[in-house]
Amino acid sequence: MLTREDANSESALLSEWLVEDRAEVRKGQPVCVVETSKASIEIEAPGAGTLVQLVGADVEVELGSSIGLIAESDGELDAAIARLADTAPPPAQDDGPRNVTKKAAARAAELGVEVGLIEKTGFVTVEDVEAFAAAQAAPEPGETDVVLAGLSTENATLPSIFSLADDAGVLDESFLATLRQDPASFGALSSEDRCDAYRQNGARIGEGVVLGEGTVIVAPRIVLEDGVTIGGGSTIRCEEVFAAGELTLLGDLFRLTCRRAFIGAGSWTADRVEIGGGGNRDPWATFVLGELGFIGSEVFVNVCRPVVIGSEAFLTMRSVLLTHNVGHSVLEGFENRFAGIVLEDRAQIGVGAVVYAGVRVGREAIVVSNSYVVNDVHEGTLVGGVPAKPIGHASRPPARPRQVELARRIVDDLEELFNLRGMETAPLTDGLRGFELTGAGGPGRVVFLETVGKGAAVPGGDGETVVLTLDATGEVPRGCAVLDLLGRRVHGEGGVLLDSVRELCRKRGIRFEPGPWRYSGGLV
Amino acid sequence: MSVRCGQALNAALHEIFERDERVYLLGEDLLDPYGGAFKISQGLSTRWPDRVLTTPVSEPSMFGVSAGLALRGYRPILEIMFGDFIALGLDQVVNGIAKFRAMFDDRVTVPLVVRTPMGGRRGYGPTHSQSLEKLLVGVPGITVVAPSECHDLGGMLGDAVADDEPVFFIENKLMYGRPNRRPEGGRVDELSCVEGEGRYPALTFSGNGFGRADATIVTYGGMLPVALDAATELILEHEVFTEVVALGRLLPLDLEPILDSLGRTGSLVTLEEGTLTGGVGAEIAARVQAEAWSDLDGPVVRLATRDGIVPSARSLEDEALPSVEDVVAAVTALERVGS
Repeated sequence: MLTREDANSESALLSEWLVEDRAEVRKGQPVCVVETSKASIEIEAPGAGTLVQLVGADVEVELGSSIGLIAESDGELDAAIARLADTAPPPAQDDGPRNVTKKAAARAAELGVEVGLIEKTGFVTVEDVEAFAAAQAAPEPGETDVVLAGLSTENATLPSIFSLADDAGVLDESFLATLRQDPASFGALSSEDRCDAYRQNGARIGEGVVLGEGTVIVAPRIVLEDGVTIGGGSTIRCEEVFAAGELTLLGDLFRLTCRRAFIGAGSWTADRVEIGGGGNRDPWATFVLGELGFIGSEVFVNVCRPVVIGSEAFLTMRSVLLTHNVGHSVLEGFENRFAGIVLEDRAQIGVGAVVYAGVRVGREAIVVSNSYVVNDVHEGTLVGGVPAKPIGHASRPPARPRQVELARRIVDDLEELFNLRGMETAPLTDGLRGFELTGAGGPGRVVFLETVGKGAAVPGGDGETVVLTLDATGEVPRGCAVLDLLGRRVHGEGGVLLDSVRELCRKRGIRFEPGPWRYSGGLV
Repeated sequence: MSVRCGQALNAALHEIFERDERVYLLGEDLLDPYGGAFKISQGLSTRWPDRVLTTPVSEPSMFGVSAGLALRGYRPILEIMFGDFIALGLDQVVNGIAKFRAMFDDRVTVPLVVRTPMGGRRGYGPTHSQSLEKLLVGVPGITVVAPSECHDLGGMLGDAVADDEPVFFIENKLMYGRPNRRPEGGRVDELSCVEGEGRYPALTFSGNGFGRADATIVTYGGMLPVALDAATELILEHEVFTEVVALGRLLPLDLEPILDSLGRTGSLVTLEEGTLTGGVGAEIAARVQAEAWSDLDGPVVRLATRDGIVPSARSLEDEALPSVEDVVAAVTALERVGS
């Protein structure tokens, strides 16, 4: 019974039971906590026996009422339980797991997914339900799926060269055998001679392909599209296929060893990049680099399991991707891990960062330098540290006025750069934002117009006219090159001035299609 | 069974008394078997009868005597039975305790800890339900600490006693009977939780592993369970993710964890149990807009108790104090959430 503890309370809060219902208690043992306006007190058992709780915890109880019974014999216990059955409210309905959001539950019902089967720490959201449903629907990894070993390519755009016909670039077997036996003498031939030999023996080699001094590709199937350049001293050995999209530029001492490699169009690697490492002949050893990918110098990618890098992703210098670990016996409890890695589109891996097997780095996420990534990185997140943890957003989209300001600054920066390089500029006559190249490098002009459409008033004159805009709607004017900064497209033709602007834009992270990564011909 | 907050504080006091014989406890009705109104001092007077001083009902003299002990090298802890009654001792604080160190050119310190429960939701009426820590936040020279039920209560109380500055240790009445929900494996229930560094750290909670979220709810003390319940409801009912920052220290204001979270969310809601005008949220809003204007997508939203008295009737009290529904409504009304 709850007794009066102070003068000015009529009820008290039974805040907590200290013993379980039906527990054996001793006389004087604290059994529950009661709180009144002046005190929080423990109630002691008035005698020994089995405690039967009559009210639950966190309930306001009137003083003088009974909150529990202590049964001294089995007969008393039965009587107490019978009394409880008369007064007890019906048991609470089990409303399912408490970590599933309403939207997720509704989506699960739609998709026929049993939410209880989704294993997750934290909350189960619509995204989790959909991912679970997709995983259930996905075929069991079999022979046909060995190339990507069941890795999801969601948000990681595969390069077009990935879907190559099965018979593309198949090499004559005896030629392949001589390549394998004596790569050094083949590497000593001129670039033209090597390209011709490849072509004659079945490889598909495009126009303007350049193979650096001593560079040899050994693979049963070789496809190099137009304008591929591979730096000197490179060794490429693939058990099945090596394919590079147009305008791919691979640096000096590029070393690649795996079963299959697909390098997307317009991608670029610096010098001394190594792709291979332990397990490079495993059936799953696939390397896919998306279009406009970037790999910095001394990057190491281990490919015993597939590594899929989406389009416009960055692996900056000395970063490392590992698809397996080296350790002690699994039977002694050490970790043993072999798993692929996915970098979704536009993901960025900082200088010297290491990404561990099984990790998926989300779209537009950034891993800061020297981090060690062991967990998946959410889309758009900035992560860092060892192990890497979220720090903030990878980007914060600017409002339109700020975009206008930033675009104008690109034009100003370009003018300043021209001036510093000794080229003379003058303001545009009609008060437009931009400048005219009047001396060396000219004539030509660069102008920023927020919107450009058909019939837009674009300043004209001798030489090139390059227009930067945030909004190229419909048909763009003739006689000039228009760079759509937000759409990231080039309209119209240009020369050295257009290349200069593209190169500066590249340094602001703005890359345009169509076209390659770098513009060596520009004035900047 | 989990340790309740009241038990954690009581155990900490026993440890502190054992560790340091300069520690004294002063306050009303502290002696066993009563052991203080909320039983936080239970058992101390039996073990250390000379160091637990039960006082007359006179807050000005309680503050004065405690300050004297502190000036003479002791480490007094003063328990004020209800936070409402710090007002009676504020002259000692504002014109003495907070200033002595500066006025005497650093030759003295006042290592005093004032422990007191604030907060309502028990129907105790206008003079036993207030949250007056905002008055203290305007007093330079003191430290104001306000742990929540997820903080390391014992550790923070120990740090407060070891602190050479006068520390107000603001507790909450409801907290005493609730479990001390310390993060386990970086989680509290379904939420991830990161604890800051150093003395009186802030705790930051996230429902999606600190991915993109729509708002930061900054709060402290007894309002943390309200904020966490609201954050959970926002996820379960609306799939709206927020971060909750539970400050450990209000003065000097610990801005860093707020700015850090705001960098991931872009919106700020302040939540406190004191009345709105001139509250802790107002100070936070002013500091944040000065430090991180560009991170804010819109105005800071302040949630607090309605200006006025705290009513005795529970139904009216519930209306006056900020609730889980108020927090959910404030977050869903944010422009970025609605759009």
